[in-house]
Amino acid sequence: MEVEAGDIVAGAMMLVFGLIGLVLASGATDNEMYVFGLSLAGFAAVFGVGLIRRHFDKAEAYARGEDWHV
Amino acid sequence: MSDLALAPRYNDAVVKKFVIATVFWAVVAFLVGVILASELAWPSVNLGLSFTNFGRLRPVHTSAAIFAFGGSALFGTSFYIVQRTCRVRLFGGEALANFIFWGYQFFIVMAALSYVMGFSQGQEYAEPEWHLDLWLTVVWVTYGVVFIGTVFKREEPHIYVANWFFMAFILTIAVLHIGNNLAVPVSLFTAKSYNVASGVQNAMIQWWYGHNAVGFFLTAGFLGMMYYFIPKASGRPVYSYRISIVHFWSLVFMYIWAGPHHLHWTALPDWTQTLGMAFSIMLWMPSWGGMINGIMTLSGAWDKLRTDPGLRFSVTAVGFYGMATFEGPVMSIRDVNALSHYTDWGIGHVHSGALGWVAFISFGALYYLVPVLWKREALYSKTLASWHFWTATLGIVFYITSMWVAGIMQGLMWRAYDSFGFLQYSFSESVSAVHPYYVIRMLGGVLFLAGMLIMVYNLIQTVRSPTTDKREAMPAGVALAGE
Repeated sequence: MEVEAGDIVAGAMMLVFGLIGLVLASGATDNEMYVFGLSLAGFAAVFGVGLIRRHFDKAEAYARGEDWHV
Repeated sequence: MSDLALAPRYNDAVVKKFVIATVFWAVVAFLVGVILASELAWPSVNLGLSFTNFGRLRPVHTSAAIFAFGGSALFGTSFYIVQRTCRVRLFGGEALANFIFWGYQFFIVMAALSYVMGFSQGQEYAEPEWHLDLWLTVVWVTYGVVFIGTVFKREEPHIYVANWFFMAFILTIAVLHIGNNLAVPVSLFTAKSYNVASGVQNAMIQWWYGHNAVGFFLTAGFLGMMYYFIPKASGRPVYSYRISIVHFWSLVFMYIWAGPHHLHWTALPDWTQTLGMAFSIMLWMPSWGGMINGIMTLSGAWDKLRTDPGLRFSVTAVGFYGMATFEGPVMSIRDVNALSHYTDWGIGHVHSGALGWVAFISFGALYYLVPVLWKREALYSKTLASWHFWTATLGIVFYITSMWVAGIMQGLMWRAYDSFGFLQYSFSESVSAVHPYYVIRMLGGVLFLAGMLIMVYNLIQTVRSPTTDKREAMPAGVALAGE
């Protein structure tokens, strides 16, 4: 099963956004930036886990001979 | 090739997610609207809390209505339409489509949270601070890449007119969003920034953005919806494809100049105000051309209005589009604006467009899409959909008529002089005078929200009820590109 370019692009984006979120939260001078930074890091982590889960779900679907899995 | 054979090729999972988000955010937007209408009628409804005062909740309402409800409807329908009219799956794969969905929902939640916490740029419809603007830019550019990439890899030579409207919406909103949010943050770690433009230049850029958010987000995108779902639901081709092309190019050329009509009688140079007014009046032609094209698409299928409540929503929406786009240019005339500006007439005008056009055309699309996406033969209940239609329509009538009366009353009271040349009424007298109309407006909002809740129940039952027949074949297409 081939890995789509979109998966790699999205995964790289999550890596960058997660780090940016942590940096923003660590230096935040107000509540809004603190909440946003932590939420961004959390978003990136959860989305990244979702990417990994979908990758293995898709691999299993291909192994079963199913062409389409979303 | 039939639509059914093509169905597995399409990414409908992301469309389903956006459909669910559209319904959810509609309830939120209408509920907060009713709370705000109650606060205006009875200020103590704000409970004396900073989080629930009018100033903080108002952008939650507008953002939930425009960007969350309207935006989710546009994302979902544009992804549905572009795949079917280009005969290809979305460009970029599932991961980018999922990022667009979750990234956009993240933006909405973060923006709403920032408003109630008291953070805002203070620019109407562009309230999110700089860090949220940057996040939205990333999501929006990804959306543009996926949508335009799908058009590029199409297996159909013709680009259907709905896709032209969606592309204009995507590209113009990107330019507007970036242009109006050019700001310098106080620091990288602070949610406070200052716009690079100040004074009247800032106001001009803000209303270039603001009016074109109406023109391209709330008009062009939803016209894309109109040009797909009305032909599909009625089983008739677009009345005049030639008019739809003229509609597109004239609309996108003229709308972009109309912003200065929001700044009549201000420090903006007179010639700029006149330019905005002239282009607003010229907009009558494309707007009404498009409206007539949408309504006349039902030629030979008018009987379906009796049997298809979704189509009834869509066609009524086009009627409201015509009404709102007639009223808008009238209000842009400088002398009319002297009476209408800063009054509730403007609020009534906005809601005849937002509820009558944007919400109704979205409801029509949702009533069409839910049975198709969840493979059901028909809606759970056409009777409930009819109840929704009439409840919502009555709600709009209550809303806009009360605001017309309140607005014109305010305008007349503010400009009335006594025989000595003094103002005849104090501002507080005008506030007291409009109180009954504020209560009527709130009741109109309650009716509209009640209709929405009926729709939520109907759609959930359409998907879940064992009495709803399973769909064996996807709907047959009419003469549309790619179908």
